[in-house]
Amino acid sequence: MESIRQHAHQEIIPNPSLKQEPTRKKVQKKKKAYLPGFLLLLPILLFLFGFFVIPMLYILYLSFIYTDSPGAANAAFSLQNYMLFFTDSYYLSSLWLTVKVSLYTVLVSLLLGYPVALTMAKSSPRVRGYIALLIAAPLLVSIVVRNFGWYLLLLPNGTINSILTSLGLIDTPLKLLFSEVGVVIGLSNAYLPFMVLAIATSLYNIDPSLDRAAAILGASPLHSFFRVTLPLSLPGIVSGCVLVFSMSMSAYVTPALMGGANVPMMPIVAYDQINNLLRWTFGSALSYVLLATTMVIVTVFTRGFEKSKFKEAFK
Amino acid sequence: MKALGKLRIAFTVITIIYILIPLLVVIPASFTSANYPSFPPQGFSMQWYTKILERPEFMTALANSAKFALIAAFFSVLFGTLGALAIAKYDIPGKAFITALLTSPLSVPQLVLGVALLIYFTPLMLAGTGMGFLIAHIIICIPYVIRLVLTGLSGFDYNLERAAAILGASPATVFWKVTLPLIRPAIISGGLFAFLTSFDNVTVSLFMVSPDMRTLPIEIFSHMQDAYDPLVASISSVVIFISIILIVILEKLQGVGKMFGGTH
Repeated sequence: MESIRQHAHQEIIPNPSLKQEPTRKKVQKKKKAYLPGFLLLLPILLFLFGFFVIPMLYILYLSFIYTDSPGAANAAFSLQNYMLFFTDSYYLSSLWLTVKVSLYTVLVSLLLGYPVALTMAKSSPRVRGYIALLIAAPLLVSIVVRNFGWYLLLLPNGTINSILTSLGLIDTPLKLLFSEVGVVIGLSNAYLPFMVLAIATSLYNIDPSLDRAAAILGASPLHSFFRVTLPLSLPGIVSGCVLVFSMSMSAYVTPALMGGANVPMMPIVAYDQINNLLRWTFGSALSYVLLATTMVIVTVFTRGFEKSKFKEAFK
Repeated sequence: MKALGKLRIAFTVITIIYILIPLLVVIPASFTSANYPSFPPQGFSMQWYTKILERPEFMTALANSAKFALIAAFFSVLFGTLGALAIAKYDIPGKAFITALLTSPLSVPQLVLGVALLIYFTPLMLAGTGMGFLIAHIIICIPYVIRLVLTGLSGFDYNLERAAAILGASPATVFWKVTLPLIRPAIISGGLFAFLTSFDNVTVSLFMVSPDMRTLPIEIFSHMQDAYDPLVASISSVVIFISIILIVILEKLQGVGKMFGGTH
């Protein structure tokens, strides 16, 4: 007990003995403070290095190795895999399709999501919590289950087509499933919550008196929305778009179920190369092309906004 | 002015329905008496629930999903909590970099992670094994645990630990009696979240499963591609029920919206 009390005492009043040999004591104290932290971090760091960082670097390396057949001995360092990708119109059109579908998904999510975020920002914390629960809870249900729900609704003999036929609006069922439309519906449904929450977060940070100031100065609600609220929520819009875009670019399950062979997006092609054709080096290159394309588009998009006339909103 | 507000609320309701509708139609469809699933269902019967029990592959897959999700949640909580404690409590050089590294599996697409792990695991004899599957799932769960526990620790008052130490508690006692109880809600949320993440996962799992070791979402996934029968509706409803129970607990503990970075 006595020693503890002394220890506590030291923390408040510097021990005079410290002054005599400050450097040594200081170094010792720092070392002591680092060690427990590192010990606690050791398991997770080793785990992630061994099973995450190294595999990711390994397939980056493999993407520069070209082999004619899986496991062939004539492996050599080359750009052949990437050349193959960028000279074959099938792969290029798959990449373009992936970008296009992802952009549509972003657009749909933004248009449908913004009003929800706005409503959340204008509501009491209680209502906000309920809306957040309603839109975020589906994220915790497996994506296959959500896609199955869309099957029920979108199939040629599904709910939507039956309603439209019985109303006499269409004669032949619309091709909603196994098409680009189906994939955009599935993806926007899955990722909309992220868009809403991203925009809502930035709307919460807007000073409500700004809106009032605009009104006092004679702006109509619509005018003050477009000149005050919308520009100030741009950071949220940008981060929501980036999030939805990146997730759409690399989604596999929804394109596979809602688009199938009719919508051969990059993840479908990459999966096929790896799991069915066992072309590992080419599949690795495909993965990195997908990652790099996403990164470039996201960076250009974000930079573009940060340097635009709305750059103040991003500070 | 009023009209604008009404329009906004109308759009809000439409979007919320749009988000929820695929889940809302699955449960009624599972009670159909017909041989094909549809919404609205034809008649009423429980036959598609009793038929689950007659299909051993679904029962095995359900057991596998639960077992692996439990183990993956345990290890990601163990590693993640220790890591988050280290970041929040101790003075470590490169803290920002380490935090970024620990949450980085979130920003790598699951498809790419699956590709990388399958290729890496094959020579290590881990591909298609339960061990390989678990490692993959722990990786995707860790970022969530880190984030939730770090949030839980952000309001942590370290004076409480100091007070306990001054009153004579050993470091171990301080941890068990002070630190742990205070961050327990965050840890439990992290664990539940990790469980659901693993339980629901399809993309990474597709690269990790083998014909004799499959999980429920994988079974549903391949069923949807080959056959289209109401069994998928009833088994999906079971998944929804399990998710709802955990979502209710999570909402009570933490607020589900908060976990995805939403509300204040």
